[in-house]
Amino acid sequence: MTAARPEPVVVALAGVPSLGGLYARGVAGSVRPGRSRTVRSDDLPRTRLHVGGVSPDPAHLTDYQRLVGETGSDVLPAGFVHVLAFPVATALMVRGEFPLPLLGMVHLANHVEQRRPLTVTDELDIEVHAEGLAAHRSGVSVDLVATVRADDDVAWVGRSTYLAKGYQLSDGDAADDDRPRESPDAPTAPPTADAPLAPTARWRLAADTGRRYAAVSGDQNPIHTNPLAAKAFGFPRAIAHGMYTAARALAEVGPRARGEAFTWDVTFAKPVLLPSTVDVRIADDGAGHAFRVWSSRSGRTHLEGAVRPLP
Amino acid sequence: MAESRSTSTSTSKARSPKATPTPTTDGTPRRAVVVGGNRIPFARAGGPYVRASNQDMLTAALDGLVARFGLAGERIGSVAGGAVLKHSKDFNLTREAVLGSALSPETPAYDVQMACATGMEAIVGLSNKIRLGQLESGIAGGVDSTSDAPIVVSDALRTILLDLSRAKTAQQKLAAVARIRPNHLAPSAPTTGEPRTGLSMGEHQALTTAAFGISREAQDELAMASHHNLAAAYDAGFFDDLLTPYRKLTRDQNLRPDTSAEKLAKLKPVFGTQLETPATMTAGNSTPLSDGASTVLLASDEWAAERGLPVLATVVDAEAGATDFVHGRDGLLMAGAHAVPRLLARNGLTLQDFDFYEIHEAFASTVLCNLAIWESEEYCRERLGLDGALGPIDRSKLNVHGSSLAAGHPFAATGGRIVASLAKMLAEKGPGSRGLISVCAAGGQAVVAILEAA
Repeated sequence: MTAARPEPVVVALAGVPSLGGLYARGVAGSVRPGRSRTVRSDDLPRTRLHVGGVSPDPAHLTDYQRLVGETGSDVLPAGFVHVLAFPVATALMVRGEFPLPLLGMVHLANHVEQRRPLTVTDELDIEVHAEGLAAHRSGVSVDLVATVRADDDVAWVGRSTYLAKGYQLSDGDAADDDRPRESPDAPTAPPTADAPLAPTARWRLAADTGRRYAAVSGDQNPIHTNPLAAKAFGFPRAIAHGMYTAARALAEVGPRARGEAFTWDVTFAKPVLLPSTVDVRIADDGAGHAFRVWSSRSGRTHLEGAVRPLP
Repeated sequence: MAESRSTSTSTSKARSPKATPTPTTDGTPRRAVVVGGNRIPFARAGGPYVRASNQDMLTAALDGLVARFGLAGERIGSVAGGAVLKHSKDFNLTREAVLGSALSPETPAYDVQMACATGMEAIVGLSNKIRLGQLESGIAGGVDSTSDAPIVVSDALRTILLDLSRAKTAQQKLAAVARIRPNHLAPSAPTTGEPRTGLSMGEHQALTTAAFGISREAQDELAMASHHNLAAAYDAGFFDDLLTPYRKLTRDQNLRPDTSAEKLAKLKPVFGTQLETPATMTAGNSTPLSDGASTVLLASDEWAAERGLPVLATVVDAEAGATDFVHGRDGLLMAGAHAVPRLLARNGLTLQDFDFYEIHEAFASTVLCNLAIWESEEYCRERLGLDGALGPIDRSKLNVHGSSLAAGHPFAATGGRIVASLAKMLAEKGPGSRGLISVCAAGGQAVVAILEAA
């Protein structure tokens, strides 16, 4: 997919940008008059945003670990690295050259490769680029890829797939896209996937779950923090951050079972409306640990994924 | 009767002229015996013990034991005890109870905590010290109050209050106070939920119950037997020397001598109602939240003989177990079933070599799932690594004087209740008789033990 792309242009940022300012730009950009709802597959910018010397803040790390149920270790949870890279990815998405609007973007899937552990004393180099613009049945999806290095060594790679609803790809071919891309409002999983499973856990997610994760992650997308804003984007109530639920699942797999180097995959099917109670199953499936989160009431799947050891 | 008078013990050879003797160890384990026990009747949450603290109840049980065995002013080697629901101010709960009791204030004490196996762990630890010769006597205790449970402020408020306590200037203090929001003020009471899964103990057991297909009828039958057996034991005077009345309560408040299969069948299921299989667990076949305390007097043969005290049973051996319930591999309350085969192997016994089985009735189905595991060829081979099933037990030997479903279950007090009762049953049954205990606990744990008539 990237082979035909011309040379990337690396843009160095002085530091991790503030998400508050980025959102203001994102909101302005999203409602820009005359913005075309049709994009071409080569519309993605060649820009790679780079921030060096990022030093994790211990207090921030502790807040994150407490919130998602990780032990207060010096090792950075894979989801915390995502949080560190997220403002850089957002900065890329609010640049004028980026073809899709930040506002209302839906997180479809996330894939993380934790190649080796990162700790609170590591100085991180974060580089983010976009690729894989693809047609989706309710819009256009794009992958934001963050690569995190420590001592010039790639330690963590995260690929977040987002959907811009209502957009079209003029030259796209959805058929060659084999990654699971589920619309958040379509009946997704086949009946067999919704077959009854015994839960191993039950999460009671309070109404302020989105606000609490927003405070720690910086992801202040109003669909997570404000019921009225969520309504404006077609959700009856505020919805939980996908990366919060995925991070809780990763925490419940636990340090022993996931090991030092692992992949952490998740597909977001149906958003978790707040507040709500969800059933969770996290179990050894022979190749690692698979997890699934579903509505305690309806049985519909919210997200599923797996944590597997890296060789 | 101070311990310093015990000059004739076999372990008193190397003694400094002045110091009060601490027995020497010669490396040969000896017997640790159960002299007796004492508890207060168990009350239902919000019942007659509603204002009693853990320390109040543990002291009451301890003083009853002191009175029964003439231990007033005695320096006991160690008192070990604990509570599951514990206030932070009770960091030295057992020592404080000792200081408030009739025992010598020179009696040391330490706290133990292993969820519902706290009482068992206290008994096993003290027995081992006695067997090693480090102690001549010990009292194990356990207490819990769900009526006087600690309430804590929210983590958010706690963080702010701690920041406030560290603030030096008025400005810093004001800044900390300004962070307090109304929703921070909602207090949080402890729950029976597992911290890692968010499922209550009952919900966890409901999953195991469903997995083993334990019927509602079988659970109700076990619950009914528990009530009838406990009532019969009271009527026969079995508890006359095991119990001290407290706050006008003379019997376990939860006991319903006239309960019947029909009455139990009428109760609505409360756990497992969201599962695909029919929900079977009710308030009748699950233990209620309870308040109460228990104690057990342990000693060397010599110490008991010097005081003319009875020896009812020996604590032969014990084993702890744990399961991986977090990833759904095994049931939360099945660790006892896993630990028993190891304990049997070490002691060269089979599951059928016992006169009494005391399996703590956290829920009726917990007991029935334990039995199902031991009877399952497949489970014993694949999960327990055995050559085959341990086999069935004679159900007429199970919880013969009732158990937690009838008596109630003040978490840390249950081990002491079981050990004191079983020791007395073994003494009555006579030499060579043997009993097996299994007490499951939160966190997927359990402690199992063997007692023999002394």
